[in-house]
Amino acid sequence: MNKRLMIISIEFKLLLRNYMNMFFALFFPVMMLLLFGEMYGNEPSEFFNGRGGMDVMVPSYICMIVAVTGIMSLPLTVAQYRERKILKRFKATPIKQSDILLAQIISNLLLTLVGIGLLLTIGKIRFNLHFYGNPILAIIVLLFIILSVFAIGLLVSGVASNGKSATAISYIIYFPMLFLSGATMPIEMFPASLKKISNVLPLTHAVKLFKGIWFGESLFDFTKEIVILLIVIIVCMTLAIKMFKWE
Amino acid sequence: MNVIEISNLSKSYKKLKAVNNISLSIKQGEIFGMLGPNGAGKTTTIECVTGLKDYDSGSVHIHGIDVKKELQKVYEIIGLQLQETIYQDKIKVSEICQLFHNAYKNPIPYIDLIQRFGLEFKLNSYVQKLSGGQRQKLSIILALIGNPKLVFLDELTTGLDPEARRDMWAIIKGLRDEGRTVFMTTHYMEEAEYLCDRICLINNGELIACDNVQSIISQSGIESEITFISKNNDLKQSIVESGISSNVIYNALNNTYTIYSAEDKCIARTALLLESMGIDYSKLSIKRSTLDDAFIKLTGGNCKNE
Repeated sequence: MNKRLMIISIEFKLLLRNYMNMFFALFFPVMMLLLFGEMYGNEPSEFFNGRGGMDVMVPSYICMIVAVTGIMSLPLTVAQYRERKILKRFKATPIKQSDILLAQIISNLLLTLVGIGLLLTIGKIRFNLHFYGNPILAIIVLLFIILSVFAIGLLVSGVASNGKSATAISYIIYFPMLFLSGATMPIEMFPASLKKISNVLPLTHAVKLFKGIWFGESLFDFTKEIVILLIVIIVCMTLAIKMFKWE
Repeated sequence: MNVIEISNLSKSYKKLKAVNNISLSIKQGEIFGMLGPNGAGKTTTIECVTGLKDYDSGSVHIHGIDVKKELQKVYEIIGLQLQETIYQDKIKVSEICQLFHNAYKNPIPYIDLIQRFGLEFKLNSYVQKLSGGQRQKLSIILALIGNPKLVFLDELTTGLDPEARRDMWAIIKGLRDEGRTVFMTTHYMEEAEYLCDRICLINNGELIACDNVQSIISQSGIESEITFISKNNDLKQSIVESGISSNVIYNALNNTYTIYSAEDKCIARTALLLESMGIDYSKLSIKRSTLDDAFIKLTGGNCKNE
């Protein structure tokens, strides 16, 4: 087997054996879907501006999955590999440390896609989910969002000195984003003060952008969101590349 | 032929000189041991030599390849066991082997190594669940997978029970018999005496001696201790006059003579002297100095020996 493929397949298997990742990337979003789906149903309702409740929530749950893999799973694993000198052990072989990092990124990407697939399948079967946008555009936008969230995760993995500090940093970034970005609760429900905080979080803009594309709105209505996410990508990637510590 | 050439290697951490101007050559096919107490600089030396740490000055060549310039080439021909290596969470023995196996150009089939070291019943186990001895065997398997000419072992037997240590010793000798060169560190003197063709002693980052074990012991000038029991309490003079040694002690409480001598044939000469004088004696014995004694003498006795 190709050297890189082998590393990716093994790293992916390891990721699947980590119950925390499995729970938050696969089961938690489905749980949210079933819980709120049973409460609100997916009939067009005034509360969701005439849209189906789950049609509105699923795109944000998708962003939530991206946040789990990108901001929690990826940095925690990489920081742990460095702290426990796993990366160092690989340095002394023809395997490059960057191959391990790449395998981690791709494994988390795969887990994201599996999580999204599962969510969409169950959403379709249980609540007859509707998608109004252009599928190709939606995939491109989704990849763009993944890139921006993973860039944040890479920066965290690059600078956290050990597993514990990576956990701390990830939680500080992840939990506010989880609850305040509209990924779990519709942002429309927030009071003005919370909306202000929410607007600072990159994931808020990702959720807004992806929801818009889901409902077939024009990409040009979201230039602000796209620019913000682009800045996140550029800044985080540059810093991550500059500051990444292998040991 | 020298497979490793280390010249004037130095490495400091802030103010601490971890490795101070060390020069060494390791010959093809030998087991070379680096000895020293904890914190002497053994691991730092191995890490500098294998390119895991950047050194401050000096040079290291492995099979003629400059470690600083062509590290990736070096990693094709060396195998490495690091102290207390941890692998990924929940990785299985077979998976870590596959990962390493895939990395090399001409690997040894890992299943052969697994069988050779008797781990085939552990292939599907998580690495975390292995016992200390099994884990060390795995780390040797991983060091050997690339079919290296040169194997680095950093304190391989530390923390193992006596039986597992004996196993490791047989394995290390086996590596030499296959024609591989072994560079190992240890702080067990008897291990070095048993295994190593040549050793070097380091303390506080400095090279104290480098030679085969017997030469190092004799270099240290430590005297052997000859003892015998005799009721005749008047032999001191004769022993000194015979030139065996001037350092003779008689303990009247248990009728024991103790002679300290650095001379190789001292016991034979003592026996001849006693026989020729027709003295009644018993329990003539010699306690030769060990590497332990030599090490403590050479390091000035200021190091802890575990």
